Amino acid sequence: MNLRVVNANIIVNIKSFYREKTVVFFRIAFPVILILVFGTIFMERDNEIFDLDIQDLSQTKSSAELVKAIGLSERFKINLVAPAINAKQFAKDNGRNLVLVIPKGFESLLMQEMVQKDRHSPIILTELYDPSSFGLTTKMGVLKIVLAGINQEMSGKPPFIVSKGTSILKKKYRFIEFFVPGIIAMAVMTASLFGAVNVNAELRQKGVLRKLSTTPITRTDWILSNVLYQFILAVLSTIVMLLVSYAVFNVSLAINGWLVVFVALDVFAFVGLGMILTRVAKEAESAAAAADALMFPMMFLSGTFFPVEMMPEFLQKFAKVLPLYYVNEGLRASMVSLDHMAALRHAAVIGVFAAVVFVLGIMITNLGEESK
Amino acid sequence: MTKETEYAIEVDKLTKRYGDLLAVNDISFTVSKGEVFALLGPNGAGKTTAVEIIDTIRKPTSGKVTLLGMDVTKKKHNIIPRIGVLPQGFSSFDRITVKETLQYYSRLFRCKSTDIRGLIDLVNLKDKTKEQYKNLSGGLKQRLGIAVALVNDPEVVFLDEPTTGLDPRARREVWDVLKGLKKKGKTIFLTTHYMEEAELLADTVAIMAKGQILAMGSTGELIESNANYLVVTLKAADDKIFRIAQKMDFAPVNDIHGNIQVRLAHMDDVRNILNAIEEGGGSFNGLDVSKPNLEEVFLKITDETLREVTGDERGG
Repeated sequence: MNLRVVNANIIVNIKSFYREKTVVFFRIAFPVILILVFGTIFMERDNEIFDLDIQDLSQTKSSAELVKAIGLSERFKINLVAPAINAKQFAKDNGRNLVLVIPKGFESLLMQEMVQKDRHSPIILTELYDPSSFGLTTKMGVLKIVLAGINQEMSGKPPFIVSKGTSILKKKYRFIEFFVPGIIAMAVMTASLFGAVNVNAELRQKGVLRKLSTTPITRTDWILSNVLYQFILAVLSTIVMLLVSYAVFNVSLAINGWLVVFVALDVFAFVGLGMILTRVAKEAESAAAAADALMFPMMFLSGTFFPVEMMPEFLQKFAKVLPLYYVNEGLRASMVSLDHMAALRHAAVIGVFAAVVFVLGIMITNLGEESK
Repeated sequence: MTKETEYAIEVDKLTKRYGDLLAVNDISFTVSKGEVFALLGPNGAGKTTAVEIIDTIRKPTSGKVTLLGMDVTKKKHNIIPRIGVLPQGFSSFDRITVKETLQYYSRLFRCKSTDIRGLIDLVNLKDKTKEQYKNLSGGLKQRLGIAVALVNDPEVVFLDEPTTGLDPRARREVWDVLKGLKKKGKTIFLTTHYMEEAELLADTVAIMAKGQILAMGSTGELIESNANYLVVTLKAADDKIFRIAQKMDFAPVNDIHGNIQVRLAHMDDVRNILNAIEEGGGSFNGLDVSKPNLEEVFLKITDETLREVTGDERGG
């Protein structure tokens, strides 16, 4: 290995990078856009207030108090539907997924229930809902909890059983803080894999690698310079992602040595994998297609966008054979939960994978002869 | 260990197979130090495979290649710093300028004092030093490729079809560069399918087809041994001349310009045919007597080989 040669390659790669504006955009700006878009969506979900249409057919003091109590829960923004309107048609015409109907005679039914000692027939509020609507289940669940609270309150007795939450994390975290490490891992993976595949396939196709095979550069020099170049860009891109996350979402993430370790291992693993794909695939197009086929399952099944625990059990098992899973989990362990032992375990797994593909990449890469 | 030899390149029974395809078939030749050697052949002759084995890009199936006294399959790392290669269809990093490209390759060769400016002058790219590779024309790219092949001041330079795809002006510009290298005493191994190029630049020409070397020598030697005759062209000649030539047992041919061409072995035959035309009352407007050129030799040799191969294939 010759550092002068490695350095010469890194300089050429960096110059090629910053002179190609579209590459700069996709490398630096694209992950930032992802963070801004998903961050905004998830910020909303963290403090979500649902729209709720209520039709009060009773029009009494009691029904008005019920509407007020639901509103006081601070989970709903209430819109009253006039009693004369057909509520079902209203929901269909206006694209509403849930209309709560307070029945006629609500107040008298309530009085009866309250004076009876032995209550057994609760008052039914009708929920008119659109089952095809996304997020309806959550909204209906929240409504049930709010109504349960009102029932409890009206009974005049303190609850027998209550639960009290204690966070397993040292601080209170929002979803964006779980999301940013995942985006860092994914952005570094895609850039490293595609960077290695596209650049090498293009240089091979154009004959640049053949020319390089007539110079003293070795396979190790070539791959190492590719890895270091991708690492420099990965660090730059990670810094930009973190700055945007801090500036826009005021995230609370721990920055420590593990971040550098995981970014480096992410680069090593996926540049090595890219080198293998470039060598195994005969054409540049098939190398890119193979990279796609590897990358997409990893993006969606490794816990980048949503927790692995949300997936069916067999997919959770599958996720654990994907290298990106260990980068995601490792980054979250070090940046969010500050669990250094977990970070070490994940680093060991991805480290072994990176070492294997890197050595394999060096072994099978051939700058010169191609079969005819 | 390097063996001191008068030859820069020694090729002995070199063969390269790709499955059933025999790309190079048992070729042998030598190239002396300081010599310009041209491997001339049609597309698919096996020239590139041969040169890529000699310049260490590919490995032979069998046979031995010695470059600067070293076996190319065993001493690649010792050979590479001493040779320069312009591969077929040379290409470089799109966004890197001419000067940066030369600096990059100089660093790869760990050269401490490459005369970048001198190389740029040699290939006449002084006005293009800050131009990115992708913005260069085909001719300029080839000239840069030649400069890249020279960054390590090599003893042997390999140029694989350096002018293919270039327009006539660009081709002449590259030839000027190669003539400059020749003057500097570099050993140059050139592959080409342009006769004019080989005739103009090479000390030795090897004609290759179907993976084999069919003839080898200086241009003069090749013409002498393969086309030792004179071509007499009688311009705007009438039909009487055609019949007179036939009667004299020559084989006249009409060309597309209405001229008659006759191949004659000696100058005496020229005198005899001119006397016979005068006596027979034949008329023509002009006369041209010339020796055949390399192109005629090439066509004659490669046509014969192709006919033999086709005949063999039919027969067996």
